[in-house]
Amino acid sequence: MSKNAAQWSENPGFPQTHYVDSRIYADAAIFAEEREKIFKPSWIIACHESEIQGPFDYRLFNHPTGVPLIVVRGDDSKVRAFYNICPHRGNTILYDPAGNAKRMTCIFHQWSFDTRGNCVDISRADQGYQNRFCKQDASMREVKCEVGCGGFVWVNLDDNAASLGAFVGGAMDILEPFMREPMEVFHFHKAHVRTNFKLWHDTNSEFYHDFLHYFNRITGMMQPGYFDRRYTGFPNGHATVGSMEIRYDKYEGSKDRAVGWPGLAPGGWYMVDLFPGMTYNLRTSVLRIDTAIPLGPNEVIIEFRGLGLKRDTVEERRQRIFDHNMIWGPFGRNLHEDLLAVHGQGRAMRDGTDSRWVIQGREEGGTIHDEVGMRHFYAEWSRRMERPAYDPYREGKPEPVRAAA
Amino acid sequence: MVKTERRYQIEELVYRSCLALDAKDWKSFLDLCDEQFHYTIATFSPEIRKDMVWLDHDKQGMVTLFTNLPRHNSDHSPITRHATVYTVEVDEATSEANVVSAIQVFRTLLDGGATELFAVGRFHDTVKLTDSAAKLARRVVRLETRLLGYGYHVPF
Repeated sequence: MSKNAAQWSENPGFPQTHYVDSRIYADAAIFAEEREKIFKPSWIIACHESEIQGPFDYRLFNHPTGVPLIVVRGDDSKVRAFYNICPHRGNTILYDPAGNAKRMTCIFHQWSFDTRGNCVDISRADQGYQNRFCKQDASMREVKCEVGCGGFVWVNLDDNAASLGAFVGGAMDILEPFMREPMEVFHFHKAHVRTNFKLWHDTNSEFYHDFLHYFNRITGMMQPGYFDRRYTGFPNGHATVGSMEIRYDKYEGSKDRAVGWPGLAPGGWYMVDLFPGMTYNLRTSVLRIDTAIPLGPNEVIIEFRGLGLKRDTVEERRQRIFDHNMIWGPFGRNLHEDLLAVHGQGRAMRDGTDSRWVIQGREEGGTIHDEVGMRHFYAEWSRRMERPAYDPYREGKPEPVRAAA
Repeated sequence: MVKTERRYQIEELVYRSCLALDAKDWKSFLDLCDEQFHYTIATFSPEIRKDMVWLDHDKQGMVTLFTNLPRHNSDHSPITRHATVYTVEVDEATSEANVVSAIQVFRTLLDGGATELFAVGRFHDTVKLTDSAAKLARRVVRLETRLLGYGYHVPF
């Protein structure tokens, strides 16, 4: 029997931890609050160290709060991060997304900065400022920056934030054995999708949607061990997914892997979802990293990176690129399906559609089709936002009519 | 200087390849390809300052890709390839031609029919020539566009 308006608005018959009010995916005020309470104090992946290998190499990064950043390796090889905003007239300092800059010079009035954030030249300073303002007054704004968890460059806009290690905790332990060798980014692309960033992270946090993917059904879901994969939650909203043996030979066009990943069993697959929007995904011969950068409540840029080993031979790298593209490239079998699905969610949940709830009610002992990964995320989201995801406006909806086990 | 008739034959091959792919007529497209055909989509990333390969298949790989398409969930919006052959350089010694074409790909939404520019780039084709036929031996699609929204399953 279909539902009328009142029934459509009723809470789903689950405990409050098992559903979300879908207005949190469309509300501009909530999104502004997320930038301040969630993204500003979180550690976010800006790039990988292999993208800035030499002194003075830099990489631009648009932080999810909206702040434009420069990540640069200094003359001392230390990696630092600064606002890409000139302290003079607020112009963009560096325009190209990557490069090498011994001096970072604003094109507008030629104020120049070194890779430690010091202003090293102000054009005609004495004539204009006399003794009232000097280079020491015009330093760049530096933000916290650490390299870790596989050589990734992390940034944090909160000067008082705890260390990256404290933020990640034990969530990366499952991947640590596989990230002992230097890695290198060989693939980078962005996807611009009209959807909420949380919906992308949800997709990375649940495997029930393997029904979406023919590739995953035939190589995974139909194989022994699939339903034994287990979620583990960690403090700060992070979660991991244990491995199984994927049967790639079951998909025509795929094949046995001549190139694997050091320490990873053939067909192994590990995932780590880091709050609030980053995912490590290790399978076949490739490590994929997703970084969600929201632009608005219903708009997100997702940065995708594919990594191999720095010591790869030409042939090994070619195989990793093939493996990556088969499922995860812009023309890959799975990525398009995932993006299409969250695009559809964005269409159905945008402001004014009367979408009401997202159910996260599956309980299967923490195994692969259990939706505990999403529930774990929204527990942290609710804590940080100081508003429950199931009742974000504290409208005090009545308790669910039917309690789940 | 390439003879007019030869150039016409090569241009028609490029245009027919677009028509076949636009029509999702995989067999007709593959019939235009030599047995040694190899297809690649490549692009340069200014972000990581590296050349990237996004798709790379031999002829059998393309057959498999096309065969698997109906098993996947895909965007069903049709795309239209607009090619313009720029240069044709024939090497009579090897009976091959190197052909560079501009390519624009447009996507038309099913709901309402709005058309948007999806991607721009170049075809770098190697064409195998015989007295009577011209076949695609190699196609490298060099994309300028790298932001493809939620992507696409069908090669350009």
